[in-house]
Amino acid sequence: MTKHKTAQGKYYFEDFAPGDVWEMESPVITREEMVEFASRFDPQYFHVDEEAARHSHGGLIASGWHTVSICMRLACDRYLLDTVGLGSPGVSHLRWLRPVRPGDRLRLRTTVIEARISRSKPDRGTIENRWEVFNQAGELVMTMEIQGILCRRQHGPAA
Amino acid sequence: MTTIKYYWEDFIPGWENESPPRALSAQQITVFAREYDPQSYHTDEEAAKASPFGGLIASGWQTCSVAMRLMCDGYLLQSSCIGSPGMDELRWFKPVRPGDALRLHTTVIEQTPSQKDARRGTVKFRWDVLNQKAEVVCTMVGRQHYRRRAAAQ
Repeated sequence: MTKHKTAQGKYYFEDFAPGDVWEMESPVITREEMVEFASRFDPQYFHVDEEAARHSHGGLIASGWHTVSICMRLACDRYLLDTVGLGSPGVSHLRWLRPVRPGDRLRLRTTVIEARISRSKPDRGTIENRWEVFNQAGELVMTMEIQGILCRRQHGPAA
Repeated sequence: MTTIKYYWEDFIPGWENESPPRALSAQQITVFAREYDPQSYHTDEEAAKASPFGGLIASGWQTCSVAMRLMCDGYLLQSSCIGSPGMDELRWFKPVRPGDALRLHTTVIEQTPSQKDARRGTVKFRWDVLNQKAEVVCTMVGRQHYRRRAAAQ
């Protein structure tokens, strides 16, 4: 993907074409961080209580929002922090397909599925990416389609 | 586990719930962002000022995570929920800024018994996240699985 890097080390709308694939991998997700995230944001028993989760869910499972957040960090480190963008309007078809458990490692694969220039604001465009998240066994645990608004290169960063 | 007040049967279409509010500080915004979404308009006050957002804004994933907490506070921890297959749609309409107090408005759209397991059912919800000015900052449409009351008794 280095072919997309500009002299400034930034990615713009033009650098994401349908079919482009990026891959990234997470560190091992620990029980401590799973429980810590869930205690703050999603304290359902199967995210925070090992004993109760064993009976109902075969053990502790990560909050789906934790899984998404971990993947967001992977995308940030891989390309988003070098991308001239204006945030995201939203996501469709977010699916939590399999539980994420302590000790799992996640692999995120993003594929550009659509790139369209804004008709009302020609200095920007929308990129739609499909995210597929796999665990270390290669099983699909999460998918979604996320839109991002990116600046176009010839127009430079937004004021 | 606390006492279960809401089972699948209780979530009839039109059922509504209003969560208590939760305020979000600048520190909470930057702490979350440094860990999960370190784009400069989420982590750095100065850089955020110079950005198109004109100041620090919360990561959209933090807004969703806080919405999840509001859901827990509002009804979920008193329910028979056993998980969620996902969200059909998720929209961020307005930035969430330091000092904003968010609350969650929940509405049931659809209630479906499980085809595979008579002890369970699925509920489709719409969740609106509102700020202190009653502006909708984020909306989610998604599903949760619940145990049925009949199965518990």
